[in-house]
Amino acid sequence: MKLALTEFSLKRPLWVILAVLIAVVLFALQFPQVKFDNDPENMLSADEPVRIFHHEVKEKYALYDFVIVGIVNEQHPSGVFNVATLNRIDTLTRQLLFLQRGETGKPEIVLPPQAGQPSGRLKLDLTPDSIWQKLLGHVFNHNPNQLFDDDGRSVIIGHELIAPSVVDNIKQAEFGSLKLEYLMEHPPQTEAQAQQIAADAMGNPLYHGTLVSEDQRAICLYIPITAKPYSYNVANLVRTLTADWPEEDRVLITGLPVAEDTFGVEMLIQMATSAPMAGVVIFLLLLMFFRNVSLIVAPMMVAVFSVVSAMGLLIGLGYDVHIMSSMIAIFLMPIAVADAVHILSEFFDSYHRFGNKAETIRCVIGHLFQPMLYTSLTTIAGFASLAFTPIPPVQVFGLHVAFGVAVAWLLSMTLIPAYIMLMVSEQKITQLSGRHEDHHLATPMSPLLALMGRISFRYSNIVVFITLVLLVVAGYGISRISVNDNPVKWFTPSHDIRVADAVLNEHFAGTYTAYLTFAEVSPDACNREEQRQLVRQRLRQRFGGQFPDGVARLEAKIEQLKVQQQHVGGCDVHQCFHSLYIEAQQIDTQIMAGWNLLADEINYLDPDGLTRERLQHELAGLEAEVAAEFQIELQILLEALAEGEDLNGEALMDQALLVCDSYTHNSFAGFVLEMEAEVSAPPFKQPRMLRYVEGLQDYLRQGGLVGKSSSAVDALKKATYELSYVAPPAEASREEQLEFAQRNQKQFAVPDTAAAVGQVFVQLEGMKKKDSLFHLVTRDYREVNLWIQLKSGDNRDMEAVVAQVDDYLHSHPAPIELKTRWAGLTYLNVVWQEKMVNGMLSSLLGSFVVVLVMMMLLFRSVLWGVLAMVPLTVTITLIYGIIGLVGKDYDMPVAVLSSLTLGLSVDFSIHFLQRARELERQLGSWAEACRKMFQEPARAITRNAITISVGFTPLLLAPLVPYKTVGFFLATIMAVSWLASLMVLPSLLTLMRRFVFRRPAPEDEI
Amino acid sequence: MNYKHLKKMIIVAVLLLLSTTAYALTADEVITRANQASYYAGKDGRATIKMTIKAKNGNERVREFTLLRLNAKNGDQKFYTYFKAPADVYKMAYLVWKNIDRDDDRWLWLPALNLKKRIAPGDKRTSFVGSDFLYEDVSGRSPEEDVHAMLSEEVGLYQIENIPKDPGSVEFSRYVVAVDAATFLPMRADYYDHSGQLYRQVEALQVETIQGFPTVTVAQAHDLVTGSVTRNEFSNIQYNIDLNPRIFTERFLRRPPREVK
Repeated sequence: MKLALTEFSLKRPLWVILAVLIAVVLFALQFPQVKFDNDPENMLSADEPVRIFHHEVKEKYALYDFVIVGIVNEQHPSGVFNVATLNRIDTLTRQLLFLQRGETGKPEIVLPPQAGQPSGRLKLDLTPDSIWQKLLGHVFNHNPNQLFDDDGRSVIIGHELIAPSVVDNIKQAEFGSLKLEYLMEHPPQTEAQAQQIAADAMGNPLYHGTLVSEDQRAICLYIPITAKPYSYNVANLVRTLTADWPEEDRVLITGLPVAEDTFGVEMLIQMATSAPMAGVVIFLLLLMFFRNVSLIVAPMMVAVFSVVSAMGLLIGLGYDVHIMSSMIAIFLMPIAVADAVHILSEFFDSYHRFGNKAETIRCVIGHLFQPMLYTSLTTIAGFASLAFTPIPPVQVFGLHVAFGVAVAWLLSMTLIPAYIMLMVSEQKITQLSGRHEDHHLATPMSPLLALMGRISFRYSNIVVFITLVLLVVAGYGISRISVNDNPVKWFTPSHDIRVADAVLNEHFAGTYTAYLTFAEVSPDACNREEQRQLVRQRLRQRFGGQFPDGVARLEAKIEQLKVQQQHVGGCDVHQCFHSLYIEAQQIDTQIMAGWNLLADEINYLDPDGLTRERLQHELAGLEAEVAAEFQIELQILLEALAEGEDLNGEALMDQALLVCDSYTHNSFAGFVLEMEAEVSAPPFKQPRMLRYVEGLQDYLRQGGLVGKSSSAVDALKKATYELSYVAPPAEASREEQLEFAQRNQKQFAVPDTAAAVGQVFVQLEGMKKKDSLFHLVTRDYREVNLWIQLKSGDNRDMEAVVAQVDDYLHSHPAPIELKTRWAGLTYLNVVWQEKMVNGMLSSLLGSFVVVLVMMMLLFRSVLWGVLAMVPLTVTITLIYGIIGLVGKDYDMPVAVLSSLTLGLSVDFSIHFLQRARELERQLGSWAEACRKMFQEPARAITRNAITISVGFTPLLLAPLVPYKTVGFFLATIMAVSWLASLMVLPSLLTLMRRFVFRRPAPEDEI
Repeated sequence: MNYKHLKKMIIVAVLLLLSTTAYALTADEVITRANQASYYAGKDGRATIKMTIKAKNGNERVREFTLLRLNAKNGDQKFYTYFKAPADVYKMAYLVWKNIDRDDDRWLWLPALNLKKRIAPGDKRTSFVGSDFLYEDVSGRSPEEDVHAMLSEEVGLYQIENIPKDPGSVEFSRYVVAVDAATFLPMRADYYDHSGQLYRQVEALQVETIQGFPTVTVAQAHDLVTGSVTRNEFSNIQYNIDLNPRIFTERFLRRPPREVK
């Protein structure tokens, strides 16, 4: 039964080969529809809450993914703030703003003419020069000139670009006026102008550390793009546009989108190089083992065909090729040849006994069938278990590798026999088989293996003891494992992106962004009683002494409204205040109507040459009805003005109005409006809430983990300062100047009332760059967004910041209860990382149990089943122990390795235990069997171990760290599990031989 | 008879020809009259404006203010803007002196901070209090700044293309304005950016004749890039109300004139 497939292949080799070829062609036909996805955000499924929220935040605050371009000048004494560099930055900014699609679809920059600036048309072609790169771009559908969406609009969101030439600045100008313009409204012509720009930038809390480095050596442009996958092309565009810049102006490009996108593009190159290289290496290795090209074509076919099937299925099913799935080929190839290597190995060793191809194959497959089936099944189980991780690309990866392994097994059972029947002559095998034997004797492998056999038999307890010691050490290592990942660190330290990242984070407050958002928990709470209390309290404070009657009247109205409201059950604050306002106006009419009228009349007088007499004369000369209204007040005023007889003109008018104001400022109506502004203010127009955010920002600054945080409060404080700024008079002494400076500095703060906050915010809403305030606060001022900059994109550091914020929120509850949520790419990485670790752990445990059960079934024994798990347990423990001990971060590739280890190292134990049990039964003695085990069976295992580890070595040459990691650890895994299978297993068998070989099993199946 | 008749016909034809040439205005003339109609009606005027700024996400901000305007010599004008709502900006005021031959003068009064501040001349094509209208939409863009060309003249609308003389100073490469041939009010202006994309539209949605002056009573500005729309509804419109020129001085920032209360 189990030989049915093989029998068929032996009888109808041509059919089999044809059928396989047709199937492979069908799979290969799927390749042209390949789509690539290099967005690590897709590590989270699209409906993941944090991802949905991330997009909500981006939408709500109009935030985009940024390509960060740093310009660093370390040589000029003024850093980047010199005329030449600033002009270059201005030109680059304009070039980016005026990017458009040319007629041929290639990018074009059409600069409108501007004073002192070059105008004209610049045609660009970003196609790489190297033919290899061009070819790759073509194969992978990557168009380097793709900088436009389907409608032909630039993918650079011009109006959101952050650059000195297009960000707002608010500053003092001549005659105590306020200037609202761009930070670099005009590129400087003199060094003094350049210095002024530097001073302006440093004076704005939103810019220093973000747009301009504190040391003034660097400026960053933040180029917002419509979608992350364009970032590689935008980065290229910037490189092209700055190619002719002098060396002293270094242009560095970074940001998570660029890192991620660049990784994607380089990953394609990796795929196109590593996988074929692995193929070549495996080919050479097999050639060394078997010394015959026509023979080893068979396992190579198995490898290539299973890769083509797996990738074809993936593409055919419509999955995108992601960072994970790009590794399918390289994972699959060495695993796929394993069975074929076993078959060929045995075939050679046994051919001389039969002298007939078909007979030999029947015998070989006959006793290899079960171990091969089980090794394949366990490998499949290991990879398929990844389907239970919550990370879609990992699921896709696991399932497709599992599929590829199944295909490889099927091909080994059918294609290999068919191929041998059809393509290899008996004569040649006879020839080769003999040579093959000699070759074995000649290699250093055999004596080494024999030595290993002797050691594990004689010194079994020592081997086991050493293993236990190692396991304890590894356990300690595992306890020190730190889970961490950072997409920028996927590049080798010498890569442009890593270099840019390092340099820019040294100069700036951080190129990694996260968004911390606050929203009120219950936006519709009306807190009427609380509000009434506040109004009453303020009312008594302000008017209690002077106007007890007015206070009583307004309080009565408040009570009346309260009763009404309870009746209606409504909570319309504005309606209430309107009723109060009307009542208050009536009170005002009683106590100050005359003063208001008088003040108005004075206001309209012509101040030119105004004297006390003329004032009295003009006011008395008004219509009798009007004049009668303020007769008493006028008398009081004139008496008050009598003190300063010499006043006239404007000064007299000012004084007269001041006297009126001393009465009119007691307006109940004004008070009601003030209270309305105060009570109905949304949370983030309330000074207490804004100060709370300010406090959190101070705390974060002192905490040291956050490079910088920016909020609407920073913008508010800066604007309040500039609005309230009073320049000291030119003749002021040093002390006076100091006094002025101190008084001005005090205004660098959140204003004291909601109305004042509201009025300053209105100024910010109408800045030159419209709506830039709304990146930090929603238009209704009910939610705020803190832009957090981190110098490191390590998840570990992001997690620490999250913990820090949590601490603060716990120890300092907000005046109004707030809902806190995080977003931003740096934070998203933390979330999927966390999911991955937990997911990998549970998938590892799950597949461990599955494999254990499979082993117990295979060996029909609990004990043997457990024994089979020993090498992989030892391997996984040691590998992760090493990772912990050397301080390597547990990142995505490392996590995936666990399932690979599980699938591969159990293979060795299956082969070993199977043969060991068979031999022990044949020879009747474990000592004898053990000696035999270290001949042919050990050789086959060793050959496989070498094939797999060498097959992965091309990965070591990769410029991308995750590939390197996989390559390195696979070699290590192979070495460790090879040792564990060939040393620990025989030692354990030796120690436990009385129990394990107790019953001479009668089954002939095994 | 035929000769006489023919003569008559020729005279009529000549007269017609003359009259059409007399009425065929040049683009410059249309723009001058449009400027006059939309910004200079009467010798002064007043209106209360309810401004609704609606963001793409549906959020609405409403502002209410009264605007006083006084025509001065040589096309100069003075504007006084007094805010009434929302409560937090109550009594906030702006004073603008529009000067034809030099930069405008601007002052700002923030009552809650007891603060009067002069605003230095700057780009007039910036948002008016955070809305989609620009300062230039409120006070008018000088016809001198653009080159005007008549695109078409149909169904009572002049379509006029305006190309800035100094393209570096503005964010548009050109704009096309549709001027009503009867009232000379600009009914719609389409702004195109430097890559030729339409990105901004200003429209007069409703026109009424008040005291004999055709007046836009509902106007709308649409920012096609951000999806934000601002609607201005004018009420209490009055012309020729004999405004005291002293209202347009700094003194009236602190104590607003009766005309706006």
